[in-house]
Amino acid sequence: MTRLNVLLMAAVLLSGMYLVRTAYDSRRLFNEIDRAQNEARRLEIDLQRLQAERHAQATNLRVEQVARERLKMRPITPAITQSVTDARVASPTGGKS
Amino acid sequence: MSWFKRGSGPKSGATSARSSLRANSARSVNYSSSPLLASKTPPWRSRLLVAGVGLGFCILLGRALYIQVIGTDFFQKQGESRYAHALELPASRGRIIDRTGQVLAASVAVPSIWAIPKDVDASPQQRRELAKLLEITPQELDAKLATSPKFVWLRRQVDTQVAIQIKQLKLKGIFQEGEFKRKYPEGEAAAHVVGFTNIEERGQEGIELAFQKELQGRDGSRNVVKDRLGRVVEDIGERVPPSNGQDIDLSIDSKVQFFAYQRIRDAVAEHKAKAGSVVVLDVKTGEILALANFPSFNPSDRRNLSGNQLRNRALTDTFEPGSTMKPLIAALAMESGRVTPDSLIQTGDGKLNFAGSVISDTKPHGTLSVAQVIQQSSNIGVVKMAMQMQPREMHEMFTEVGLGQRPQIHFPGAVTGRLRPYKSWRPIEQATMAYGYGLSASLLQLARAYTVFGRDGELIPITMTKQPDNIDVAGVRVFSPKTAQAVRLMLQMAAGPGGTGPLAQTQGYSVGGKSGTAHKQEGKGYASHKYRSWFVGLAPISNPRLIVAVMVDEPTNGKYYGGLVAAPVFSQVVQQSLRLLGVPPDLEVKPQIVARQVETAQESFQ
Repeated sequence: MTRLNVLLMAAVLLSGMYLVRTAYDSRRLFNEIDRAQNEARRLEIDLQRLQAERHAQATNLRVEQVARERLKMRPITPAITQSVTDARVASPTGGKS
Repeated sequence: MSWFKRGSGPKSGATSARSSLRANSARSVNYSSSPLLASKTPPWRSRLLVAGVGLGFCILLGRALYIQVIGTDFFQKQGESRYAHALELPASRGRIIDRTGQVLAASVAVPSIWAIPKDVDASPQQRRELAKLLEITPQELDAKLATSPKFVWLRRQVDTQVAIQIKQLKLKGIFQEGEFKRKYPEGEAAAHVVGFTNIEERGQEGIELAFQKELQGRDGSRNVVKDRLGRVVEDIGERVPPSNGQDIDLSIDSKVQFFAYQRIRDAVAEHKAKAGSVVVLDVKTGEILALANFPSFNPSDRRNLSGNQLRNRALTDTFEPGSTMKPLIAALAMESGRVTPDSLIQTGDGKLNFAGSVISDTKPHGTLSVAQVIQQSSNIGVVKMAMQMQPREMHEMFTEVGLGQRPQIHFPGAVTGRLRPYKSWRPIEQATMAYGYGLSASLLQLARAYTVFGRDGELIPITMTKQPDNIDVAGVRVFSPKTAQAVRLMLQMAAGPGGTGPLAQTQGYSVGGKSGTAHKQEGKGYASHKYRSWFVGLAPISNPRLIVAVMVDEPTNGKYYGGLVAAPVFSQVVQQSLRLLGVPPDLEVKPQIVARQVETAQESFQ
């Protein structure tokens, strides 16, 4: 009788300790997941910001300015364009050459 | 237990006497012989005690009942609020994208700086540094901190760099919070189309307002348990994920848009005009490829989001369309079989007395064919055609092409224009309406009306959002294909040599269009030196793809005819837009390509 009691007592103590341990672990792991998710969100926001910055660098205004001033390009006119018909397209809708 | 047994055993008298003596000495007080107990106690004392204890239990029971049953919700909530925290998961607003995927508006996370003023204990030196980073004077900073002891925004939506520097100051009571800010990479070129939001990201103008519901996301939320250090340790209940706003695909082509904006800006500057607008419509799909206005504004800069430059003139301003109505009248006359393109009309010496008024042409034209009436823009010729018709016919035709009707377009501020019911028309009004006075329309309505010529007599709905490729747009038939094609040729003549708008010509593409010049209405009459010039046309004539409408308001630099002011803008916009759309030229162009003969090695394909 006494021995059984001691045994049960020990079992309760052990399972109690184990519970504490698991709860602690689960919280720690949860916290880690949470932090990782926050990091993911932060990176996504950063990505959006950087994409917006890239778009801001490639606006038509800027492209035009750089093309005209730095690269000395000029607008295309039909006079300096040669149209070719794509041979792979069966229907002759490509227009005049 | 055993000693008690032994001690009270009845076996031997001597041991029992000794042991009882020992017991007496161990228990120094003998209760049975205590004089205190011997005294008689009144019975109410014990009852009082019982009643007191009973009452105590009752109070405890009652309290337990109250906490556990009656007030349980309140106490549960209170308990939860001690450890549970609701976190908001912000949703980002959708982007606005043009037809090629270029971003016209996007939300970017930026920090905002706020403070709890009563916790701020910065030294004057630190305050100066902070004020400098916030781009305000130290006095302004002090004034801001004095407004409320609990919460005050110091500066919203600062640059990331600035936020990092402020963080490095390590001031107490100064905090940062992530907010979203709208970025508009195309700036003022597309400002009127895209519109803008307020600082809380609610649409105020343009597409931002029209599609507010779709663009706006729904914030999510989650409830969590936080520990002593503020770390999240557990989720409670269900987590509502944030749903981001939808992206809106516009029909706008940002390159066409940018080019149109540049050209109208230059034209307004060159002619010292007040304002100008351009609309570019795709005839095949009814999509608006560009809608530009000048003066414009930069939607990212919140300081000048007011005043006239915000007006989307192409949609909100109506004007009398003037000569641009003439092709519609000619088409109606041909459709009803009253004239053919070659019918001759006597326009005389350029003056016509009609119902007490004089209708005049810019110069005497003599006898003109119907095609020439359009080409030379003869008021008298058109009036003579119009007066053969019933007012009802004209009114029906105007209504069918969308004049006096609210444009079915998902965009704020589109106006109806003015078209009075035909029953109240006087004869002189019917005559002036034939050449575009006495009714009003917006530039967008006018551009749409011209789709009947671009699509062989069909009027199609216009749209601001991108349509699927190769969509078959159902139109409403207004004129027969034969009439529409005949008018197209007249428009080509009008934009050619001998017409009113030869400056509309482009290299490589055949164009047709009608110029217009109208006195501006002021009060009851017409201002003599204020004009509106415009040009509406289509290209290429053989198989129209684009309709471009240009309007310049009050050109004051000498020239004011639509054929001189607006037609060059039309020409440039058409030329660039068709090239950007990949439409092959339909006219022979003298090539200026000089091929250099270079020795090349034989190259093998495959």
